[in-house]
Amino acid sequence: MEDRKLTEKESLEVITSMIARTKAKYLGSGNILLMWGYLIAITSILVWALLAATHHNAWNWLWFAIPAVGVPATIVMSRKEQQVNGVTTSFDKITSRMWTIFGVSEIVLTFVCLAFAFLGGVNCWAAMLVYSLILAPGTEIAQGLIFKENSLVGGGAAGLIVGIITICCVVGGIPLAANWYMPLFILAWVCMMIIPGHIINSKSKKR
Amino acid sequence: MRELDPLLHSQLRLAVMSILMNVEEADFVFLKEKTEATAGNLSVQLDKLSSAGYISVEKGFSGKKTRTVCRVTGRGRKAFEEYVESLKEYLNL
Repeated sequence: MEDRKLTEKESLEVITSMIARTKAKYLGSGNILLMWGYLIAITSILVWALLAATHHNAWNWLWFAIPAVGVPATIVMSRKEQQVNGVTTSFDKITSRMWTIFGVSEIVLTFVCLAFAFLGGVNCWAAMLVYSLILAPGTEIAQGLIFKENSLVGGGAAGLIVGIITICCVVGGIPLAANWYMPLFILAWVCMMIIPGHIINSKSKKR
Repeated sequence: MRELDPLLHSQLRLAVMSILMNVEEADFVFLKEKTEATAGNLSVQLDKLSSAGYISVEKGFSGKKTRTVCRVTGRGRKAFEEYVESLKEYLNL
């Protein structure tokens, strides 16, 4: 392409041609999804195993490793991804903000649960599990619809089913036994993050 | 009939503005690939658009390599919209 004057018709052709060339939605790689998926799955297995082996509730503090590792890793990885893609679209901004809202609300909920536990002696940590399995799948389904990526919609739907079952247990007063709930929780994150992450990476490599 | 903005009425500058109107930001490599322009020519046209206040150009580093990121400004957005309106008048659209 050169720096030459155009006729009005040619101008219109340049505009439509450039819009068509940038119309593609760049979902990028699935590395961030994989990082979160493996981080949550490994932490959950570790906490579950340690609690089962020692019956010591202090191991629950390990849950805080998820945001402590995940948030800085996401910032670094998303910067790197942006540089590789070379472009940021409005879709990227929207999905990034949706996940930020999810992350911030999870942090707020953590502090509310801590306040309930230390000030009122009330154990409401189940709210944390339910909330993460309602809002995360919802956000993922929305991202999947925006980018027309079925693995995200499917994975999000699987996570949402687990979330709905869990919320019914909490509201119905059914105790959440770790032996059935933890494998389900881990399975939900595998469906939501690890499987779509590998599918997106495989598609990205083909592109 | 309104006059077409001479700064935008050039193939490469119009192509760059059309891309930037469609995305939040794009780097030099992306613009070069999409417009199929030479690096030298693209660099000159980016400077012209930047001097007119139509785009903002941010130079940074990606590892050891330099990375130039471009964004359309409010002024550039307005100029582009006016250009398209003028174009419609010329073409009786």
